[in-house]
Amino acid sequence: MSEIDMEVIKPEQPYIWLQTSDGSIQQVEQEIAMVCPLICEEVIQKGMGSSKNCAICLPQRVTPAALSLILDYCQFHHVSGRSNKERKSYDEKFTRMDTKQLCELTSAADSLQLKPLVDLTSRTLARIIEGKSPEEIRSVFNLPDDLTEEEKLEPLNNTTDDPRIRLLNRLYAKKRKELKERERLKNVEVEEEHVDDRSVDDLLSFINGNDADPKGMKNSKNKKKNRRKKEQLKISSLKEASELNNKEINGHNIRPQTDGANGIAEASQSNTEDSTFVSREFDDGDIDEMDPALQEKLDREVEDFARILNSDWPERMQELLSLGQERKATLFASNGNSILRRNA
Amino acid sequence: MGDASGSDLISDLPQSIIESILVRLPIRDAVRTSILSSKWRYKWASITQLVFDEKCVDTCSDRDVVEKTVVKFITRLLFLHQGPIHKFQITISYLQSCPEIDQWILFLSRNDIKELVLELGEGEFFRIPSCLFKCKKLCRLELFRCELDPPPSFKGFLCLRSLNLHQVLISPEAIEALISNCPLLESLSLSYFDSLALSIRAPNLKYLYLEGEFRDICLEDTPQLVEISVAMYMTDDIAEHFEQSADCNFVKFLGGVPNLERLVGHIYFTKYLSIGNDPGCLPIMYKNLETIELNQVSFEDMKEILIVLRLITSSPNLKELQISGIFYTNFLWQGSSNIPSATDAPDLDFWEKECPSKCRLSQLRVVHLTDMCGVPHEMELIKFLLGSSPVLEIMTIIPCVYVVESQLKMLTELVKFRRASAKAEIVFVRE
Repeated sequence: MSEIDMEVIKPEQPYIWLQTSDGSIQQVEQEIAMVCPLICEEVIQKGMGSSKNCAICLPQRVTPAALSLILDYCQFHHVSGRSNKERKSYDEKFTRMDTKQLCELTSAADSLQLKPLVDLTSRTLARIIEGKSPEEIRSVFNLPDDLTEEEKLEPLNNTTDDPRIRLLNRLYAKKRKELKERERLKNVEVEEEHVDDRSVDDLLSFINGNDADPKGMKNSKNKKKNRRKKEQLKISSLKEASELNNKEINGHNIRPQTDGANGIAEASQSNTEDSTFVSREFDDGDIDEMDPALQEKLDREVEDFARILNSDWPERMQELLSLGQERKATLFASNGNSILRRNA
Repeated sequence: MGDASGSDLISDLPQSIIESILVRLPIRDAVRTSILSSKWRYKWASITQLVFDEKCVDTCSDRDVVEKTVVKFITRLLFLHQGPIHKFQITISYLQSCPEIDQWILFLSRNDIKELVLELGEGEFFRIPSCLFKCKKLCRLELFRCELDPPPSFKGFLCLRSLNLHQVLISPEAIEALISNCPLLESLSLSYFDSLALSIRAPNLKYLYLEGEFRDICLEDTPQLVEISVAMYMTDDIAEHFEQSADCNFVKFLGGVPNLERLVGHIYFTKYLSIGNDPGCLPIMYKNLETIELNQVSFEDMKEILIVLRLITSSPNLKELQISGIFYTNFLWQGSSNIPSATDAPDLDFWEKECPSKCRLSQLRVVHLTDMCGVPHEMELIKFLLGSSPVLEIMTIIPCVYVVESQLKMLTELVKFRRASAKAEIVFVRE
């Protein structure tokens, strides 16, 4: 190519040169390309694009594929005689592409400052997102599921603001942690599990022996909510009791256990942090020990929950809430609070 | 859950695009994006448009619960939001006046609010707190069922372009002052005001919508008006007031709007315009007026017909005309055969006087006439229009449904009329 001197851009010049992100240079009709404000500015204010040597360098986000789509769009809408109906119908067909292309196109249109196309693609993306569950959205856009359970539980996500749903979320988080713990314990292949059970029994019967009443007064004021809180805390405190107790009783088993205990402790720690953001509707702080007779029930519930976790959301709701209805309030002893009391 | 091979398609797009997507979602869905991934945690929190509508509401519980839930949701959301809020809209019929709304408005006034729409439910009117008047950047304000009481030190919203007050309690002085102190005001809409007497001074006003019982409206300084739409209701004392007034309403209202492009009137609008002395030949021509729509014109009232004629003949570039008549129940009682025929109707030379035969409506293309009963003046109007519109393309006539018998009579007369436009189609719609 001979080096042609830079001519003054004449408006009648039909073609200009554009360079896309991959370095390739193409020649496009000036009138069409000038629909994009950025290109228009480059041509008019900086005089670029008149030849291959001074091709307009398009922003990084404009891939050749995106550019071609954008030029098609500009070409269609540039024609003035079209009716609104025609334009809408074209727009609808135009945005039928896979999500990856759509995102690239949005990005390219934005960097070329072509607002109508950005609006169109944003609308399409919004329609894609609307009504989908988080998992579906993640899979469409390849988003990593990298929030911790606690982060997901923060209050505003519970947009229906139902305390039962918040409780439910907590239960699930707990359950998932417990299931993970169980996995880990199984992998470690220690026989402490049996020992654990026994020690828990011991602990529980020990605790159960001290039946004090000061809690009774408080409990009688409890509303339904506290009942549920206890259910949740029962399950977690069961685990806590077993872990923490093992710390004391099984000295040489501390190491594998402490991980678990730390895990739970961390969980409770972050949950208490959670509680500083969350406005708890129910009273905090009192964990009550459980009646050994209920322990089997709880084990059953653990399995139930694992099953529930895998079923659908509305069914989950139904099941758990109906489970909740069946429980009765029980009075618990106040002793052992030093072990089991959660930090308020 | 995503495929390991795919990279994140969307999280790294600039915030302006993310915002563009999030504001097109219902607010709940937008907030839910916070649990998608760590990058998405707070993307929703900096969107600048918050719209709360019926989609936020779970209608399954009872009203009080719903209201409390909505209030909590909005309060929490505002608390977690960061950055400016340019648009805030509440259109929830379950929500009624409550103290939290004051707090929200205070919060918004500190966050550069530009567009505020407050449409609460039926019930007690919400009294707008004074902090609203400190929102310097406000450019659009829409209030439904509120009480507005600007403090005496209020100097106007300097950026306000659009004002829409619907069933708002505000004193006439305050509303006039509000309108004239907003120099950039382009669009004004006032609905359901009772007995309002207004003088509008708004040099940049382009769009005016009025609906309600207006005692008196004077467009004193509105040279840029492009579109006017008025639905005027009448009560007995307003009618009395009109009897006594001598001002020419037509001039007061339409005397200062040379750039008018579109005029729409409903109910008693033409009657309102007809009150007062006849202006004679109008001093101004509406060169840009292309669409005239006048509803509920009484063809029994000569003054109203005169108004219609004046408007038509002062608009050389009129392209589209829509007129609807009024059906008088005494037609039914008398029987349609009693409708006098064209020749013995009173004052018919009025038409020859007012409509010079050389009058040309050289741009008129489309005419819609509805609720036509076939009274003489209606027929004369049709005759006039047909005879003066050389480029007329279509005239649609929808007769009033109650006067079936006279339709044939109407048609017979119609056929006789001369048409200036060879292309003109007359569509007579019969049910």
